[in-house]
Amino acid sequence: MRFNLGFFLREAFKNMRLNLLMSVTAATTTFMCILVLGIGMLVNAHVSDIIRSIGERVEITAFFPEDATQQEIRQAREEVQSWPEVRESTYVSKEEALQRFQESLPEIAQNLEDNPLPASIEISLHDPADSQAVADRLVESGYFAREDISYPAQTIDRLNTITGYITWALRGATALFLISSVLLISNAIRLSIFARRKEIEIQKLVGASDNFVRMPFVVEGMVQGLIGSAVAALVVVWLNFFFVDWANRNIPFFPISATAVDTVSTMAILIAVGVIIGVAGSYLSVRRFLKV
Amino acid sequence: MIRFDNVTKVYGNDVLALERVSMEIGQGEFVFLVGASGSGKSTVVRLILKEIEPSAGTVYVNGRRLSAIPRRQIPRHRRSIGCVFQDFKLLPNKTAAENVAYAMEVTGQRRRAIRTKVPQILELVGLANKMDKYPDQLSGGEQQRVSIARAFVSQPPILIADEPTGNLDPETSVGIMQLLHRINRIGTTVLVATHDKEMVDVMRKRVIALEDGRIVRDRVKGAYLDEV
Repeated sequence: MRFNLGFFLREAFKNMRLNLLMSVTAATTTFMCILVLGIGMLVNAHVSDIIRSIGERVEITAFFPEDATQQEIRQAREEVQSWPEVRESTYVSKEEALQRFQESLPEIAQNLEDNPLPASIEISLHDPADSQAVADRLVESGYFAREDISYPAQTIDRLNTITGYITWALRGATALFLISSVLLISNAIRLSIFARRKEIEIQKLVGASDNFVRMPFVVEGMVQGLIGSAVAALVVVWLNFFFVDWANRNIPFFPISATAVDTVSTMAILIAVGVIIGVAGSYLSVRRFLKV
Repeated sequence: MIRFDNVTKVYGNDVLALERVSMEIGQGEFVFLVGASGSGKSTVVRLILKEIEPSAGTVYVNGRRLSAIPRRQIPRHRRSIGCVFQDFKLLPNKTAAENVAYAMEVTGQRRRAIRTKVPQILELVGLANKMDKYPDQLSGGEQQRVSIARAFVSQPPILIADEPTGNLDPETSVGIMQLLHRINRIGTTVLVATHDKEMVDVMRKRVIALEDGRIVRDRVKGAYLDEV
């Protein structure tokens, strides 16, 4: 049979107009579900961003021994920089260390006769969980003594535990939101189709094939899903901007960044989920009434 | 055109609707299928449409054994049979013209063909001035005319009417019967299941009478009851 897209579109839009209340219900349900899902994604993104930025602040500082030669220092720096766990390493010379010291504690610094501060290398990692391993490697490399390596081991341990819990909790919540969205949305669609089962029966008796009956419903489900989720996605993005703006003004010490959420992909994911549920929901719901 | 070979239909486990029914309806015939409620008329109609399967025996329509038609070809089978129902079965959200057009759209016909054909057929059934009315704005007789127009618009070789006048007053019923008769005269096989006695007696057509699921009479120019 010829695939009559224009006819299906006209039918779908006409049906939505005539069953306005049902369409609005389905679209609203989609909107609510996608909104909750989107907020879940926002929380997820911000929490992981906060955890990441706390992790970035965790640094390993390795102090060079007093007798380290320029040659050794250069080799150590090159080696450290080549390790895959290392995100960034900064060399702090004796002079720079003194300068920092003078800035932070000028009274004490005035009384210093020569520079007692060692040169050091400050290392930040991709994943703070690796700090123990990196510290071990620094010792193994032979440039540093164990006692000259400093990192906040306890902080890192605790951070890792909490991160693990939060990540799993958020994943679980997202999965639950998604499942309940699927159920709620397909239920709303099923109701609207149930109200029109007589129509489906007549269409089948006149000789319409299953797909011919189904297509307008699928288009309807798609449009309802699209409208509901698009509005929800816009609200989610707006909420995100609003929240970031508010946080930066009122709790600036909290590392909340506008770059934590990728607006475009978040919207794309939310809309895709809404449309897929709408299409799948109506496809499956019509099937039950096609057996005439 | 339509042939029943020893057809038995049992609903559930024990409700016998048809028992060893054999009959043959040839091309271009006009046949009344009469009998009281529950005599098996609607079962015959539903078997022809392949809405249900016989428990035993074989049904042939347009030379095809219905049990040999796979499920996905049922729509095509139904398009070869125009169908008129007691409760009209019009789509409530569509105007008279759109209801008729729908039957053409399911067969994938071009919009241009639909636009020329639909007004013609509605004029034929006498509804040229009510094309844009919705079913609830039409009287029972008018709705049944729309339903006949829809059944006939693709010019199927067979037209089946299940109690077409069951919900209509006698005067309106005469008009409907005349319409079916006209459709029959241009070569369509027409099967009318009814218990409208007066109508059957007036038309003097072939009458097949069912009683408790069995054919009790088959007269070429019959009446509702056997004439003595």
